[in-house]
Amino acid sequence: MNNRIREYRARLDLTQDDLARKVNVRRETIVFLEKNKYNPSLKLAHDIARVFGVTIEEIFIFVP
Amino acid sequence: MKRAYLVFIVAGLVLAATVLWFLSSDTQFKPYDLVEIGIVLMVVGFAVYLGYKRFSSAKRGEPAEDEMSKKVMRKTASWSYYISLYLWLAIMYFSDRIKLENHALIGAGILGMAVVFAISWLVINFGGIKNE
Repeated sequence: MNNRIREYRARLDLTQDDLARKVNVRRETIVFLEKNKYNPSLKLAHDIARVFGVTIEEIFIFVP
Repeated sequence: MKRAYLVFIVAGLVLAATVLWFLSSDTQFKPYDLVEIGIVLMVVGFAVYLGYKRFSSAKRGEPAEDEMSKKVMRKTASWSYYISLYLWLAIMYFSDRIKLENHALIGAGILGMAVVFAISWLVINFGGIKNE
């Protein structure tokens, strides 16, 4: 699964720390998400999408 | 935050017990004992590193543990349990062939389990968890 977290974070001028605090995870988790080394839970994906004001599908792109 | 302190306390107790054993023992230390002490120090170092990570996260206003760190711990526990079964099988196999006292064999097994856990954590934590 790929994602566009880095791109949306840059648009809102958020640091990894800021995003981590907003969705209540550690900064390390955001780093791993951006590197596509971790697939988030549905709740975390939902929380991230809500911070960016878009749907989950716009952030997370499923690659079969 | 409390759990971060707990890791430091446990690591400190293990270190204090090792130092006490080293200082109070009147027997001559063999190379095997020094290897044991080295492994204990490595395990303590690993625990302090984990505690420091939790502590610094809590300081930044992030949770000390989140879904990824919990998942890493769960996977590490399952890997290390599975590998430890084979470790104990190997120890049982070699116990007939190597002359070591029972307490030394059990000590080696427990230290081996700790090392397996630390290595599994490093591999899983830095390798990432995908599609689970």
